[in-house]
Amino acid sequence: MKPSVLAAQAAFVLFVIGAWEYGDAVGLFDPKILPPPSQVAVALKGLLQSASFLGDAADTIVRVIAAFLIGAPIALATGFVMGENLDVGRSLSPIFNLVLAVPQSIFLPIFVLVFGLGFTEKLIFGITHVFFVVAINAAAAVREVPHGQVLLARSFGAGRFKIYRSIYMPAMAPQVMTGLRLGIIFDIIGILLAEMYASRSGLGVLLLRWGESYAVDKLMAATVLISLVTILINELMRVFEHRIGRWRQAMA
Amino acid sequence: MAPAIPVVIEARGLGKIFSVERAPIVALQDISFAVPEGRFVSLVGPSGCGKSTLLQMLAGLVPSTTGEVLVDGAVVRRPIPEKISVMFQDATLLPWKRIAENIEFPLEIAGVPAAERHARAAGMLALVGLSEFAERYPHELSGGMRQRIAIARGLAPNPRILLMDEPFGALDEQTRIKMGHELLRIWAKTKKTIFFITHSLTEALFLSDIVLVMSHRPGRIVGVIDAALPRPRTYDIIGSAEFGAVRNRIWKLISQDDTEAGETGMASL
Repeated sequence: MKPSVLAAQAAFVLFVIGAWEYGDAVGLFDPKILPPPSQVAVALKGLLQSASFLGDAADTIVRVIAAFLIGAPIALATGFVMGENLDVGRSLSPIFNLVLAVPQSIFLPIFVLVFGLGFTEKLIFGITHVFFVVAINAAAAVREVPHGQVLLARSFGAGRFKIYRSIYMPAMAPQVMTGLRLGIIFDIIGILLAEMYASRSGLGVLLLRWGESYAVDKLMAATVLISLVTILINELMRVFEHRIGRWRQAMA
Repeated sequence: MAPAIPVVIEARGLGKIFSVERAPIVALQDISFAVPEGRFVSLVGPSGCGKSTLLQMLAGLVPSTTGEVLVDGAVVRRPIPEKISVMFQDATLLPWKRIAENIEFPLEIAGVPAAERHARAAGMLALVGLSEFAERYPHELSGGMRQRIAIARGLAPNPRILLMDEPFGALDEQTRIKMGHELLRIWAKTKKTIFFITHSLTEALFLSDIVLVMSHRPGRIVGVIDAALPRPRTYDIIGSAEFGAVRNRIWKLISQDDTEAGETGMASL
C-alpha cells in the first residue's frame, strides 16, 4: 500500500479516537455509556493483568481451536469427496448451500436443549460453523483443478498419489485457504454467540455480564481486544492466502 | 515408406464407442496405420472427428473399445513416459511453477535427481532459445513461447516419440507459421518420431512426411498421403504447384467424405 494511503488511514483512526476523548472531556458524551479511550485503555491493561479474565479468554480460545481442529479436517475430507465424486457433489452441494443460507444462530436454543450448557454444546456449535463453509470451498477447489493438467501428469507416468500432490494440492491451495479463513471467523462468531446466549465461562458471557451491569469501560476494552485479535487472525491468513495464490492473481 | 525403417507406433483396428444417455455413439471405427521411426506423421481431419481421442489412445491415456495400439511391438495399456511425451493444444504449463521447474516436471515424476533435472532443463531451454526466461512464470510468456516451453518439457525426459494434439491451434497465423519452422528445426536436430494432429491441411502438409486423412462420425482413416516434398522446407514451398496439387488431393478426400459422413453421423445419433 502507498505510504500516503497508510498515513491517511492512520490519521482517520487517530481523529476518531481524539474526537471521542475530546467529546467526553467537554461533556458531549455520557462517560457512563461512552467512557473516554484513556479510561478504556486503563481497563484493558487491568483485564490483561486479571487472572480471571485470562481464564475466560483461555476457555474461549480452547473452544474456538478445538472446533476448528475437529471441524476443518472433516470438512476438507467431505469437500474433497464432493468435488471428486460427481454424484456425491450433486446431492450434497445444494443441501450445504441451503444450510449456509439459514442463520445458524436460530439453532442455538435447540443445541442447548440437546447438548446442555457445557463444553460439548459450544464445541459442536462451533464445528457446525466451521464445517459448511470449509467443505463448500474445498469441493469448489477440487472441481476447478484443470483436467488438462491431470492428463498431463498422467501422460508423464504420475500415479494417483503423485497427481494429488503435484497438481491437486497447489491448484486447490488458494481456495482451500479462503475456506479455512472464513471457517475460523465463523467459528469465532459461533463460539462467542453460544457463550453470550448461555454459558458459565468465556469472553461471550463476560461481554454480556458487563453490558448488563454498565461496566462499560471493561465492555469496551474487551470488545476492542477481541476485534483486534480477530482482525489480526484474518489478515495473517489473508497474507498467507495471497502468497500461495500469487500465480492465480497474476493470471486473471 | 522404405521397408528398412522400423515401425514404432502401430494402430490395429482401433475403435471407440461412447455411450451418452444410453445411446452409443461410434466415435472411431477400425483405425489402422503405422508410424515409421523418425518420421513426421500428421493426422488431419475436421473438428470433432475424434482426433484427440485417438491421440489419447495412442498415449495410453484412454482405453480403446476395440483394437490395440503397439509401441515397439508391445501393446500399450498405460502411459509409457520413457518412450512417449504428449503435447496438448493448451500448453498446460503449471501456473504456480517457474518455467525451468515446468520443464523439470516430467523428470520430477520420473524421480530424476535435482542436479540432473536442472542441467537437463537448462539444455532444453537452450534448444528452444528461451534460456533467459528460466525463472519467469508461465503467465509472463506469450502463447507461442508457452508452446515452445511445452515442447522443451516434452523433450526433457528424452522420449523417442512426441504426440502433439493441435499444439499450435490456439495461436495466431503468423506465430503458427514460425512455430512450424521451429518444430521442424527441433525435429531435425533431435530426430524424434512425431505424430501431429491438426485441422489445417496446409500445416499438415508443410510439416509432414506422411499425412493421414480422417473423416468424422464415425472417425475413420480415409486416406494416407505420402507428402514427399523436399526438405528442408521453407514457407515458399506452400505456394508451389506440387504443394497445391497434394493439398487438393487431401481436400478431395475430406470433402468427398463429407456427404456420407453426414448420413452415417445422423444415423449413429
